[in-house]
Amino acid sequence: MAIADLVKTKLMISRRVFLRAVMGLIGVAASAGDVATNTYAWAQAGLSGLPLPDEAVDATLKRLFGNRSFQRGDDKIKVELPQIAEDGGNVAITIDSSLPVSGAAHVNHIYIISDKNRRPMIAKFSFTPESGKALVATQIRLATSTDVRAIAEMNDGTLYAVSKPVRVTISGCDLPPQG
Amino acid sequence: MAEIGRISIRLPSSIKQGDVIRVRSSVVHPMELVQRDKQGTIIRKNYNFIEAMSVTYNGKGVMRAETTQAVSQNPIFTFLLKVDRPGKLTVNFADTTGKTYEGNAEIKFT
Repeated sequence: MAIADLVKTKLMISRRVFLRAVMGLIGVAASAGDVATNTYAWAQAGLSGLPLPDEAVDATLKRLFGNRSFQRGDDKIKVELPQIAEDGGNVAITIDSSLPVSGAAHVNHIYIISDKNRRPMIAKFSFTPESGKALVATQIRLATSTDVRAIAEMNDGTLYAVSKPVRVTISGCDLPPQG
Repeated sequence: MAEIGRISIRLPSSIKQGDVIRVRSSVVHPMELVQRDKQGTIIRKNYNFIEAMSVTYNGKGVMRAETTQAVSQNPIFTFLLKVDRPGKLTVNFADTTGKTYEGNAEIKFT
C-alpha cells in the first residue's frame, strides 16, 4: 500500500524505482526476524534513496541486458573521457553517437557503466526524435582506475558497446568513515 | 544549501530554425554519497540524490535520464535539441526525497 503510493507519486515510474520497491518488500520479508533494525530502515526511508547492495559489473550487465550479446560500437559511438582524471568525483564524459534517433532503426537508450564502481550503473539516457542526435555530456564519479563503458540500445534490442580506460588519481566515491 | 535545486540552462547565442542546438543545464544538488562507518558497513538511510531527469520542449519529450549516486555533485547535463519552432524548454529533476525541481528557458530565433 505504502509502496504503491510511493511509486505513484514519483515523477516517472522507472524500472529502477519499481525494482527498488520490490527489493524493499523482499528486504522487509527477509528481515521479519530482525524487526528492530532492518524493517525500521526500509519503512523510514521511502525506499528509493536506500543504498543498494554492491554489484559486480557482470551482474549489472546481466540485470540490465539479460543474455544479449554486445556488438562493437567503436565506429558508432564516440566516448570522450580524460586519460587521467585527477579527481574521481568529477570526471567529464561526452558520448557522441552517430546512430540516428528517429527512423526505422534508432537508438533508444544510452547507458554509462563503470566497471569498477561498487554500483557500476551510472546513468541511463533515453532519446526521442526531438533530440536530433544522440549526444550527452555529464560529469560522473569513478571509484578507481577503470574501464568506462557506453552502451547504446537500439529499438530492436541491438546493443553497441564501447569501453574506454580512465586512470583515476583520487577516488570519487570514498567518504571518510562516519562515527 | 538553500539553493538546492537551482537550475541554470545555457543556450547558444544564435539559434536558427531547424538547428540542432546544444543545451547545457546544471542543477545545484549534493548528490549524497553512501556513507560507511569505521567497520566499512554501509550506513542505512535514505540518501538524497537525483534519480530522474526529463526534458520537454513545447510539452514534447526530448530526453530522459535515470541517474544514480555515481553522477557528480552539482551535475551538468548537456544534450541536443532540434528546434523547428520557437518555444519553451523545460528541464525537470526529481530526487530521492520526492522533491522535483524545474527550470525553464525561452527559445527564440535570431
